[in-house]
Amino acid sequence: MGEDKAMKRVRTPTRLSVALLSAGFLLFLGWPWLTARGGIHCQAMSMALFHGCLALAWNICSMMGAVSLGHTAFFGLGAYGSALLCHYGHLNPFLTIPLGGILGAFYGVLWHIAFGKLRGAPFALASLASVEIPKVIIDNWESFTFGSLGVVGIPPLSPIRVGSFMLDFGENPVHLYHLFLVGTLFLCLLYRQALRSRWGWAVRTIREDETAAASLGVNVRRTRLQVFICSAFLTGICGGVYAHLMGLVEPALVFSLHISALPLVLSIFGGRFQWYGPLLGAVVLYPLDQVVFRSLFPVGHSALYGFVVILTLMLFPQGMGAWLQKRLHLASS
Amino acid sequence: MTVQVSHIFRLSALAASFFIGFNLLSPPVLLARPLRIGEINPLTGKLAKHGQEIHEGILFAVEEVNKRGGILGREVQLVSRDDQSLPEVAINQTEDLVYGVGVAGLTGGYVDSLVGPISEIAARHRVPYVASASLQRNLTIGRRNPYFFRVSRLDGIVEPLCGFLTSQLRPKNAAVLFSATPGSSEFASEMRTCLKQAGVPVSTFDKFRPGTSDFSSFLMKLRMERADVLISGGFFPDHLLLARQMKDQKLSLRAYLGPWGVAYPSFIEEMGSASHGLFGMCAWNPGITLPGTEQASEAFVNGFRTRFAKQPNTTTMHGYSSARALLAAMEKAMGKHGGVNGDALCRELRSLDLLLPMERLVFDDNGDPRYYRQVVVQIQEGRMVTVYPPDRATGSIVTESP
Amino acid sequence: MMLQFLVNATTLGAFYALVAIGFSLILGVTHAFNLAHGEMLLLSGYLAYFLGKHFGAPLLLILPVSMLTMLFAALCLERLLRRVPEPHELNTLVITFGLVLLLQNAMLMAFSANYRIVAPETGPGQTPSSTLFLSETQVLILGLSLAATGAVFLLLKRSFLGKALRATIQDGEAARLAGINVKHMHLLAFGLGGLLVGTAGPLYARTAYLHPFGGMEATLIAVILTIFAGVGRIRGLLIGGWILGLVESGTVLLLGTNWRELASSLILIALLLLRPEGLLPKWAKTRP
Repeated sequence: MGEDKAMKRVRTPTRLSVALLSAGFLLFLGWPWLTARGGIHCQAMSMALFHGCLALAWNICSMMGAVSLGHTAFFGLGAYGSALLCHYGHLNPFLTIPLGGILGAFYGVLWHIAFGKLRGAPFALASLASVEIPKVIIDNWESFTFGSLGVVGIPPLSPIRVGSFMLDFGENPVHLYHLFLVGTLFLCLLYRQALRSRWGWAVRTIREDETAAASLGVNVRRTRLQVFICSAFLTGICGGVYAHLMGLVEPALVFSLHISALPLVLSIFGGRFQWYGPLLGAVVLYPLDQVVFRSLFPVGHSALYGFVVILTLMLFPQGMGAWLQKRLHLASS
Repeated sequence: MTVQVSHIFRLSALAASFFIGFNLLSPPVLLARPLRIGEINPLTGKLAKHGQEIHEGILFAVEEVNKRGGILGREVQLVSRDDQSLPEVAINQTEDLVYGVGVAGLTGGYVDSLVGPISEIAARHRVPYVASASLQRNLTIGRRNPYFFRVSRLDGIVEPLCGFLTSQLRPKNAAVLFSATPGSSEFASEMRTCLKQAGVPVSTFDKFRPGTSDFSSFLMKLRMERADVLISGGFFPDHLLLARQMKDQKLSLRAYLGPWGVAYPSFIEEMGSASHGLFGMCAWNPGITLPGTEQASEAFVNGFRTRFAKQPNTTTMHGYSSARALLAAMEKAMGKHGGVNGDALCRELRSLDLLLPMERLVFDDNGDPRYYRQVVVQIQEGRMVTVYPPDRATGSIVTESP
Repeated sequence: MMLQFLVNATTLGAFYALVAIGFSLILGVTHAFNLAHGEMLLLSGYLAYFLGKHFGAPLLLILPVSMLTMLFAALCLERLLRRVPEPHELNTLVITFGLVLLLQNAMLMAFSANYRIVAPETGPGQTPSSTLFLSETQVLILGLSLAATGAVFLLLKRSFLGKALRATIQDGEAARLAGINVKHMHLLAFGLGGLLVGTAGPLYARTAYLHPFGGMEATLIAVILTIFAGVGRIRGLLIGGWILGLVESGTVLLLGTNWRELASSLILIALLLLRPEGLLPKWAKTRP
């Protein structure tokens, strides 16, 4: 109900929201120069955008009603896929990262096959348990994946030459920041268009009522499969990028509850039902945690995330995005 | 329209105050008079205990130099950063140290998953990094990274332990238990290779995940395989659990060996009499020091006690040694070139020859310490007694439990 | 040797059942997924640790204190979860997941990441025969777990209150129509859950070491057993606990310690696939 209204409003963008969006875009574009170039705030915002992408990928599943606690499985598979391809095949990271994403998507297909009947809480639990399978196998397959030793010496993202200008993502944090910004914007636009398409409506109909969706002619099984593949592929890509960012992967590092939890927290805070919700959550919450909360509570600062989840669900079950949108709507009318 | 404008204004004011708030929270930038070195350690998070110990060792070394009047009259400033035991934070903090603060060299670091990312960034920005506690071989192998040095190495643990086992204990059947972490896994597979070469069968070779609490089935397996020596590559809490469950099940082995976590006063204190007879390893400890460095070692212990009101241990010494190496190289580079750029510092580190309480520190071509060797100690009635190598032994092995 | 294996696995299984009963009752009666169950267990473990360490309190004193504290904590949790918006099951899951993050970090702040373990009061255990070893802790766990399980079983089967509870588990709406105060039943379920966690916590602190991030494993075990047995079925939980204990110990013995987590995860997935109705009896009926 609330979402229907929201969609109508987005379709006729007010001048205010256009102005806000462009101001936000300019702020993000100039962020590295506003802060000390390449300093800790630029880093924090880079990682915030990265987690925004992760949250967007997670939210595709959530849009369909499938709240997952196991996306770190895709993340880890993407990271390992890209790292091992680089290690054995000496390929360009920009080639191996999508291949890692495909490995993640493959696991997404397995989810669809195995968890086809599960919904709601049982699905969440099954996804939580499914993380152990790739993790334990990678941890024990020493001859191929190096087991608990992890893969080290993964090359950083390779530089790209644009005319006479060298974009060096490994060396220059500002270039990396802008790569993430462009990636995030691209993903965001894609996401927004997908949600507005027929397919996007089918996905949301499945969340509201599967029987009704089927009677409207939505192929529920196929749509579910597509959603899992998209979400897993994008999460796998994030994992691949992470591997090249860190220069090493270890099972405990890329298959961690933290990675499953963050997109959930960010999306719930930002708003699961708006296309920009997850991103909003990431760019607000992540820097807040990293820069402000960490200096106040150096040890348990991640408690913020737990606190935010509880408060948001109790007070704004639709997330900050919906709340803000309502406010904007009131202001402009 | 006016509503919109005022809204945009308010929002931009909000954004501006947000941004100013961010910058106020960042540490103030000082003028570039003192020489700066950076340190990244897990000061909080799950590795905080050891991270703090390393930090104190480094801090002590820096304060020691400043007490002497600094390096050629210039004060050394230590910029400490916390990586929260998380690699991505380690990367952020290192880049900030290199970019924002502009440090001459880096030190600190505990556990390879944190040291690895730091070393990559050090190489990228041509800043030397002397890691305090790092073991994994493929971080240095093939000299991929000419800016990376470390004061410890895996061979310094495996060789003495294997020598001790094959020459003194001569087990009939050994069991290896290790934790699913890089250092422990590599240690375990090296131990297996070395024991097999010496003709000692390794009947049980088990990995467990950190946090596992029930070892009863594993201990039953040991009993079934009739293993007489257990090499346990776990850490402090794992030894506590294993030793207790062994006692509960009345499993008596000829030897229990834990390279990490046993040779600590805190372990002996926590275990009480149950620690009697266990074997551990350490590179240094108050009273266990390299021949010829007794005075330096005692001075360190006394100075450390007055400064921090506690006893230093082997981890502290690793931090101290790494900082000493970096500071010594800086002193030489300053003397020769009057400045400390990264490449000059690396040259000096490569030609360094320091006699420290923990080791004679000379880096080999890979950046590994050439003479790093730990000693095997046995806990005998609450005291650590060095039992191997023979030239450093202060006592002999006791076999029967009290 | 076989006997020793069985005894170890039985002790483990009985403890698993003790952990699972509270979770299962809460889920059955209130349809609230308490993912923070393991964290509550840890909290009461820490309580036991500090009582024992700083006041030298014996287990006989620690147990009631811990049970009462957890009773209070569980009732607070009930007040929080009562207000959760629809869909109830999923939202309680997400909220308690937030609670997990909050509690983990709060424990990290309060107790630091150091590992702690309660030292046993006396020396090594009794030896019934030359090949069988039973430690004092094992006897305690087996005894207390079975006693608590039995008490809950009798309460459910033999008392009027238990009948009302079981009716609420079967169908909350019908129970309300039959004049049962469902709100009181919710409080009762959380109260019982709190008491049981308060019993299990001090035992946990004696067998495993306490660490702020160790709670998830206990929660997963509770989930596995609940799916296996169905909500509120005490005998099923106990049998499930024993089977899980046997499978885990057997995996360690035959394959190695590193495969243990995989075994329990595979069991969970298999159970979810084979009997998703085990989680919530109404699930299979309302959803096609």
